[in-house]
Amino acid sequence: MKIISIVSGKGGVGKTTICANLCAALRKNGHEVLAVDFDPQNALRLHFGINPADTSGLISNGHQPSKWNEVIVKTTEGCSVLPYGKNNEAEQLDFEQLLITEPNFLKERLRDLGLSKDTIVVIDTAGQLAFLKQALIVAHLTIVVNIADAASYTTIPMINSLIAQYCEDRSDYIDSFYILNQIDRSRQLNGDIADIASMQIGAEKISFIHQDQSVQEALACRTNVIAYAPDSRTTYDFIDASLAISKLIAENSQPSSKRNSF
Amino acid sequence: MSSSLRANPKFNKFSRNILSWGIWNSWLLNTLLAVTATLAAYIVITATLTLSEQIFWGLFAFCMILIIRRRPWGRASIIMMIVISIMVSLRYIYWRLTNSTNFITPLDAFLGWGLVLAELYSLIVLLLGYVQTAMPLQRPVMLMPPDQKYWPTVDIMIPTYNESLSVVQTAILAAQSIDWPADKLRVHLLDDGRREEFREFCDQAGANYITRENNLHNKAGNLNAALRKTDGDYVAIFDCDHIPTRSFLQASMGWFLKNPKLAMVQTPHFFFSPDPFEKNLDIYNIVPNEGVLFYGLVQDGNDLWNASFFCGSCAILERKALMKIGGIATETVTEDAHTALKLSRKGYDLAYLAIPQSAGLATESLSGHIVQRRRWARGMAQIFRIDNPLLGRGLTIWQRLCYSNAMMHFFYALPRLVFLTAPLGYLLLGAEIFSASAAVVLVYALPHILISTITNSQIQGKFRHSFWNEVYETALSWHILFPVLLAMVNPKFGAFNATAKGGIVKEEYVDWNASTPYLILLAINLIGFSVGIFKLITDYGSTSTLLINLVWVLFNIIIISAAANTAKEARQLRKSPRIYKRLAATIHLPNGKTVVCKTSEFSQIGLDLKTLTPLEIPLGERILISIFRGNKEVVLPGTVTRSGNSIGVLLEGLTVEQQKDFTQITFSRADNWIYSWDHDVADSPLRSFGQVMTYGILNLLPLMKYAIHDLLLTMRAQGQRKSYSKR
Repeated sequence: MKIISIVSGKGGVGKTTICANLCAALRKNGHEVLAVDFDPQNALRLHFGINPADTSGLISNGHQPSKWNEVIVKTTEGCSVLPYGKNNEAEQLDFEQLLITEPNFLKERLRDLGLSKDTIVVIDTAGQLAFLKQALIVAHLTIVVNIADAASYTTIPMINSLIAQYCEDRSDYIDSFYILNQIDRSRQLNGDIADIASMQIGAEKISFIHQDQSVQEALACRTNVIAYAPDSRTTYDFIDASLAISKLIAENSQPSSKRNSF
Repeated sequence: MSSSLRANPKFNKFSRNILSWGIWNSWLLNTLLAVTATLAAYIVITATLTLSEQIFWGLFAFCMILIIRRRPWGRASIIMMIVISIMVSLRYIYWRLTNSTNFITPLDAFLGWGLVLAELYSLIVLLLGYVQTAMPLQRPVMLMPPDQKYWPTVDIMIPTYNESLSVVQTAILAAQSIDWPADKLRVHLLDDGRREEFREFCDQAGANYITRENNLHNKAGNLNAALRKTDGDYVAIFDCDHIPTRSFLQASMGWFLKNPKLAMVQTPHFFFSPDPFEKNLDIYNIVPNEGVLFYGLVQDGNDLWNASFFCGSCAILERKALMKIGGIATETVTEDAHTALKLSRKGYDLAYLAIPQSAGLATESLSGHIVQRRRWARGMAQIFRIDNPLLGRGLTIWQRLCYSNAMMHFFYALPRLVFLTAPLGYLLLGAEIFSASAAVVLVYALPHILISTITNSQIQGKFRHSFWNEVYETALSWHILFPVLLAMVNPKFGAFNATAKGGIVKEEYVDWNASTPYLILLAINLIGFSVGIFKLITDYGSTSTLLINLVWVLFNIIIISAAANTAKEARQLRKSPRIYKRLAATIHLPNGKTVVCKTSEFSQIGLDLKTLTPLEIPLGERILISIFRGNKEVVLPGTVTRSGNSIGVLLEGLTVEQQKDFTQITFSRADNWIYSWDHDVADSPLRSFGQVMTYGILNLLPLMKYAIHDLLLTMRAQGQRKSYSKR
């Protein structure tokens, strides 16, 4: 089981969209995939065509997380999805409290699922620190999502310091991968930021997802862009990103090429 | 190199072992070997043999050639074949001079000696060609030192006179995109047309615009004037229709740092549009074109002898050296070759790097091609007259031979025409141009012809297919004959003609100006053939002599027919020739959706895109197109001109910045031309002969039809003119 946590320093950059489409791309590349919605907005399920009226999810059974297996939904494309579920405000506050008192809550629950060795778990992480910490603690790989504008770009150091704090000391941690969302190279600034990011981060650790109306339309049709518009640029972008990610994972799964933990 | 030229490792080791013996350094042994070899050669060349002995010798040599040709001995087998070929050919010419020139009538003597002289010319060119191409140097790229402070400053000069802005701007933008420290790279447009729009474009693009008051000495004068206004360490020259790739300087400059005596590095002229032969005969990408032999083999061969010469474009010259010889040579119309000769005489080294680092437009029509070749031929003859490489100081014997061959090459016109008409002397006029029986002529001439053909095919391989040389030479020989003769008489005669490129041909037509001489030649040969057949049937004259001459005439008819067909101008509707290259791309539709596609072809003004599934876009719709190279992406605006299975896009309203982006991601990609450059198929003499024959014979009738049709039209027009004047 490899755990990928999708994080960002700023809301509204398209984390959930990235998570859903990336899962679809990884699945298309032959991986066993579990998408975990770890965000109270409970929006990830909509990308997978789950009936909006179905509100079960990882918190719907209150504090009985052992039943997570029961609420996992298998999509037609073969992705497994664990929705967040719906709760009231009091339950939500309780849950956040729980996350604070039990730092390894997510880690233990995921372990209890008994997933196969090859499964890739992709966690769509909420912005609140309590959620973020949980997701970072379990992550083998973090994916930092941004859009190519100045405001979003300036949040990278903040998220990087969190990653440094919670991930980089662990020997099972692989690396951070970056995704720049809604790229539009016909705009000068957009292109410049993409180029700078590519230079600073290194081309093999960054992927660009183009601005594309098909992504919105796919969501409206309650599916992912890979199924909805297979010829679109973004489909190719997601496939490319998923290939780069599986390459990173594969390279670091072999003991011989394991990074030196200095 | 073709696979047959690669020696097997065992043989390589074996030969290296032998070469490592100390005795090869012995002066005495080498002299002894040379004397023995000369004596042996003398015997082989001059020995008097009976007819059957000569037949045996011919067969023996022929079998040796066939065996050696297939051995995996690399260069060694080529050298052996060359030695055998030289022996056989010298033996032939010795016999020819001593035993076949006892002419009886003055007509026999005149025609007979004419043919002997033509054969002598061919033999000299054959021998010089062997010297030139026996061992191509295959110079590798010399890398630049990592520290850029050692990199010299370079002025890139793009001379132009009457070419259109659309042609020139791509060259400027590509030159600016060359990977080189920005403060050490200057791009200059040298405009002898003094056009305001060119100045404006240069201002926008950030290139330097240079003009002068007059157009004295044309391109050479233009370059010299610019040399006085610039001061870079090196000068890279590009004709305005040659587009450099971004790697040009980094690949070519290294040798200058390695060898301080080096004054010039030339790279190949590679063409991404078909030349008139390729276009009109429809042999593009099937048969290597005219230029491939020169840039693929001859220049590389010259390089071994330090005699590869400057070809006017796609080259770098050292400014200091250039100034020592007074700038670009202005005495002749081929300033490039003459400049190289002058540099050699001053003791500078010249280099050739056989890696295409640029691409350009080929001449667009046969008449344009003829104008260009006429200039080259005239210029080479001028150099031969006023600065003969065989005479004067400063050259090695090998440089003299290589330069001479380059110049003598252009004297092929007269000998070629002699060969094309020689058998008619016997068939039509009854002249005995060989004072020997047909059988004897055959047993001496056949080994010479066959063995030199096979040897050349082995050397030239994929660079020039057998018998195409005859077609190329034939098509031009009439047109360069008089310029060469005139230049030999008076080198001062003649003006410089810029070669027209980037034009369109709306309808297929036959350029009668270019082809009339060949139609007449063809007609005479057909008459000669008919007369020969008639004589054969009526048993008039020696049957064997008739047969030899008939075969010869038939060969000539095929060659002339193929050559004459190059005048049939195929349609060329696109002003910008297209490049067939698949690049990753994406269409951005106005509704915000994107569609992944690939380019199937692109030109300076547009793209053809191929989507995975047919895509309908309203014609005239404005879209954006992304083109990718790795992580780099360029977005360009365009108008849809065709949709469905493939999408046609006209690039319109591009800013200079966008044009530069487009040029960088398409034309100036470093890997662009390398694949096509090495892609020609190897020669097989028999297949090649079949090809030439097919082209010659298949095109004969249509050509005749065209000729008669146009003749009738002309006659009718004249008849009408007469009837008007009667009124």
